[in-house]
Amino acid sequence: MSGSAPVTRVLAIDDSEDIHAILRARLEREGLVLESAASGAEGLAAVLADPPALILLDLGLPGMDGFEVLRHLKDNDRTHSIPVIVLSGSDDAKDKVRGLDMGAVDYVCKPFDHYELSARLRVALRTQRLLEMLARRAQIDGLTGLWNREHFDARLADALATSARHGAPLALAYGDLDHFKSVNDTYGHSAGDAVLEGFADILLGELREADVAFRLGGEEFALLLPDTTVEESIAVLERIRASLAGVCWPRHPDRAITCSFGVADRGVGGSWEPSAWMEAADKALYAAKNAGRDRVMIAHGEEIEPAPC
Amino acid sequence: MHQPDTRPHALRNGGELRSTLADDPDMRELVGQFVESLGKRVTLLESLLLGGETAELRRAAHQLKGAGGGYGFDPISAAAGALERSVDAGASHEELRASMDELASLCRRASV
Repeated sequence: MSGSAPVTRVLAIDDSEDIHAILRARLEREGLVLESAASGAEGLAAVLADPPALILLDLGLPGMDGFEVLRHLKDNDRTHSIPVIVLSGSDDAKDKVRGLDMGAVDYVCKPFDHYELSARLRVALRTQRLLEMLARRAQIDGLTGLWNREHFDARLADALATSARHGAPLALAYGDLDHFKSVNDTYGHSAGDAVLEGFADILLGELREADVAFRLGGEEFALLLPDTTVEESIAVLERIRASLAGVCWPRHPDRAITCSFGVADRGVGGSWEPSAWMEAADKALYAAKNAGRDRVMIAHGEEIEPAPC
Repeated sequence: MHQPDTRPHALRNGGELRSTLADDPDMRELVGQFVESLGKRVTLLESLLLGGETAELRRAAHQLKGAGGGYGFDPISAAAGALERSVDAGASHEELRASMDELASLCRRASV
């Protein structure tokens, strides 16, 4: 059903086939594809099977009424952010207030003027795009464009689950720019920002497609490398270090920037506890710093050792 | 009791009730199908009224109210809404009959 073409699908949950037919004819003109469900239960199943961009919801449905459908939609994490416009035969202000307070974005009475309904659909879809953009931005680091710490926690949980399901290795590397504070103090914060942005560009350029980079804060970064053992991660990390060391920074051409990495994988069959695994990667980074920076250290169980050159 | 007929002339004279969307290319075919279905719908409403199935009668009237305007027949929406309100108000059979006749008469005169 959901092809690759960018179609915007609207689901009408309404027990009147007339309304389905009228909406289908009207929305086609707007470049929207109308799907329809004749009851609340059918509608909820359709939403879960393939979430639409927007839902037009009747209130006077047989069996489960529209308010109950709305409550189900708003209680479920998978459906609560889908915009709902109530399309109801009731023009009672109490119904309008109740529907809007339960999370509907708009309320249109039947019989409806299709120009007005189309305009309200456009507004709802426009607002939804902005909300989604904001939600994404809240997980993106404003300076580097990398994912931030909030997103790191979510992605880490996902990556662990995937690794456990497939029995695949998963490597976590913590990275830290060496002597970053002195770059800021010596050349100013804008020079420091340029280094952070430059390092992010290098990460994005050197990482493989499935790898994900995060800026955890300050000059601290994390890399999640799926399907990767510690040994395999070394090539990636050394490539990043070489790229960084080769940059000639316009603000301080005589001052090269280096970084340190600590890396650990989840062990065969994901045998490590997630917290122990993260701690091991952190300890490896700490060891790299203590051993003079500008290097990769790896954690093998409790053992921390330098990466083989 | 005799009441003066205050409806617009076009509705009083029993002439055709034309869809306001008759010239809308997106809707012309759907309006035609709707007009063709009106006979059956009126028959259904009549039988629900005769059978005293007021819940179903209300539902059918409610749906016709929601759809009529969408097909360009605002008077049908209004009359169906009046029938729905009569049911809600617990109107007598005679009052429901009057609302029903009004609606049925409009439906019979509908045309593309």
